[in-house]
Amino acid sequence: MTPMIRNVVLPLAALIALALTPIFVIDSYTRHLFIIAFIYAIIASNWNLSLGQCGVFNFGHLTFFGVGVYTTAILAKTVGLNPLLAIAAAGVTAPIVAFLMAAPVARLKGIYVVLVTFAFSQLVMQLVLSQSQITGGAEGMVRIPYLKIGDYSFIRDYKLGYYYLCLGLLVVSTIFLILIARSPFGKSLKAVRDAEDYAVSRGISVSRQRVLALALSAIFTGVAGGFYAIYLRVASPEVFGFGTLTLALSMLLIGGVGTTYGPIVAALAISFATESLAGIRGFEEARYIVIAVAMILVLRLAPEGILGLFRRLTG
Amino acid sequence: MIDTLFATLVSGLVLGSLYALMASGLSVVWTTLGVFNFAHGALMMIGAFFAWTLVEPVGLPLPVGILCGALGAAAIGIVIERLLVRPYYGNRNMLLITVMTTLAAMIILEKSAQMIWGARLKQLPRLIDGEISIASATISAHEAVMIVLAPLVLAAIWAFTVRTNIGRSLRAVGQNQDSAALIGINVPFAFALAFGISAALAGLTGALLGSIRFITPAMGADPLTKAMIVVIFGGLGSLGATAGAAYLIGMIEAILVLWLGLYWTPFVLFLIMIVVLVFRPNGIFGGNQ
Amino acid sequence: MERLLEVSDLSAGYGAVTVLRGIDIHLDAGESIGLFGPNGHGKTTLLKTISGLIRPTAGAIRFSGDDITAARPPDIVNAGLIHSPQGNTLFGDMQVHETLELASIAKRAKGDSRKNLKSVFDLFPRLEERRTQKAKTLSGGERQMLSIGCALMCVPKLLMLDEPTLGLSPRLKKELAAAVGDIAKSGVPLVVVEQDVEFLMALTDRLYMIEHGEVVREIDKANAPDHEEVMKLYFGEVSH
Repeated sequence: MTPMIRNVVLPLAALIALALTPIFVIDSYTRHLFIIAFIYAIIASNWNLSLGQCGVFNFGHLTFFGVGVYTTAILAKTVGLNPLLAIAAAGVTAPIVAFLMAAPVARLKGIYVVLVTFAFSQLVMQLVLSQSQITGGAEGMVRIPYLKIGDYSFIRDYKLGYYYLCLGLLVVSTIFLILIARSPFGKSLKAVRDAEDYAVSRGISVSRQRVLALALSAIFTGVAGGFYAIYLRVASPEVFGFGTLTLALSMLLIGGVGTTYGPIVAALAISFATESLAGIRGFEEARYIVIAVAMILVLRLAPEGILGLFRRLTG
Repeated sequence: MIDTLFATLVSGLVLGSLYALMASGLSVVWTTLGVFNFAHGALMMIGAFFAWTLVEPVGLPLPVGILCGALGAAAIGIVIERLLVRPYYGNRNMLLITVMTTLAAMIILEKSAQMIWGARLKQLPRLIDGEISIASATISAHEAVMIVLAPLVLAAIWAFTVRTNIGRSLRAVGQNQDSAALIGINVPFAFALAFGISAALAGLTGALLGSIRFITPAMGADPLTKAMIVVIFGGLGSLGATAGAAYLIGMIEAILVLWLGLYWTPFVLFLIMIVVLVFRPNGIFGGNQ
Repeated sequence: MERLLEVSDLSAGYGAVTVLRGIDIHLDAGESIGLFGPNGHGKTTLLKTISGLIRPTAGAIRFSGDDITAARPPDIVNAGLIHSPQGNTLFGDMQVHETLELASIAKRAKGDSRKNLKSVFDLFPRLEERRTQKAKTLSGGERQMLSIGCALMCVPKLLMLDEPTLGLSPRLKKELAAAVGDIAKSGVPLVVVEQDVEFLMALTDRLYMIEHGEVVREIDKANAPDHEEVMKLYFGEVSH
């Protein structure tokens, strides 16, 4: 496969196929699966920016998503802001939170990065749980305003509006990630990952890079969270939980980190697999077990791909 | 004023005991294997459910239930070591891979518990009923037992690793695997033992906590997070530093709850942690990494 | 004559890198042997492979009549084949007496732990002076003593020493050489890795020269080289 086919033709073909899908898929459940898959694809591919390309052992990526969810939920429901603007606002608050998290993380190494990022996400969850007069606490928020333009509700025509809006978000996010990878900043990330000492000696600041990578990776993750809140019309602290984290992590691992598209493809495949499992009686909880076992098996049986990732991570 | 302070001190001791038991288990595995066990909180939860099953439906006495809870958690801990950690010994990415495999183990344990025991809230009876008043502070007798038991358990673990050859072998393996093997230490056994002891500590904590909090599949998440804050403060290097940090965090948390209320405490705790990390990237007492 | 140790056609390495290529050495009952040769040519790897730290890719190792090729380190220790690694590799945060006591963890050594500790302290009085000090605070020579002391705590039937005098001052080197001599005199057969061929000649019965992971020369009392020849072995004939 030539790079031309891999980087341009295949993604474009996939995009056209996804754009045409609603013509063939006209039931709202299947479209719902696609929308959820797009959301996870945005989460996983942006996580790749910090964990994969920058080598920050960030286990708090879902914090950005959760912050997006609650930003939009609060602005749209409590403040009464237009839902579209509320979604856009999530693209601002999430990077700010990422910035807060990055400040201590930029200087740390190894397991302490894992611990701090992870504890951070847990503590943001604690904050959400405790501020129940604003966030609804453990119950979460319900009946968040839905999206409509003029008289047209996005939920109509079997969620047609949401489908295209979410696909559009995924496309914009992907282009954003590709532009970053090709920018001088993206190239400096690669330089640090592959030869840290040399890069540092050429004047690249690793701390600054980590802060930037975390903040950039939060933008579309936050927006995806905002969309999630408006689309499902609920905000629940579950988004910070281990379930969502493991699901997104498994997509990143199984998809691999070599390309921007790997995690996206894996996200689509795994979202469909788990959401379909969720539809089977008795599998609402067991699907997470299936995913966890799959993750273990990939780590154990496909070490080349996964190890390739780690080799790049640890340089 | 003095009364309030004293009450805060006592509640800080209760929290500190809980965190010390949890965090010392993490520390044992870390110092021996260089693995951070994300399933530690889930092992605590499993200990609580085992104890509950033996005490409530089966009808065994509570102390037996607590003991079996600890042993059951230890057994599962050893299985986790065998299946999810041992395959990666010697792998240079072991740290990250095992973060992910133990994370997966946590999900499996939590979701399995939910499917086996359901979502209905459960609670164990208390070891001793009634309340104890120390000067002006009143706590339940069960919490008083925890306050006394935690340092005893920690002292026992410390004595085990300093006074006995099997315990010393855990430290030796953590410091130099090859040299340990060359004086006849069975390294894989030491690894399994470390995991077993750590999981037993978690299971014990869960079974004790099951009398004063509700037993749910997710009950391990909060203590695990707090134990993480403890090890971030204290570093993971030594049992003493970890236990010291656990009591310190317990006290700080109790004071914060008194001062700011329950809502803002976790947030402020994290802010303090950030400040500490900016100035001491290896923790307050930490040197080892 | 019974062979205590027999290594035949042994190959081993680290991952894709082969270090040992078909090594053949043996040690008859009642003798000691020495291994020498340039650094990085496989002497330490050979000891590590014999003691089970490295799995051989080919060949066989027999100790005292038993095949130990695939045995695990603790079982090899328990059989009495003890490897004392270079001294800077011990347990830094552990005290001297703890380390020595721990070294009697093997079944064969458990019973006589107290008696053995006393004889180690007799051999190395400095260790007794420093018994509550942590290993990382010891000097290079003291660490070497601790490493050998640990090996003695295991009650060796055959003791393999890896460069016991490496990097020591001449005075300390003499002290350690004397101690190693005492161990040999007490009847423990030795496999000694050293750079100093004259020291080896005095201590052992036969020498193997190891180069590029192979035995390139065997020396015994009959064909012992003089000083000049030794220098030649290292710097002359050695082809790189």
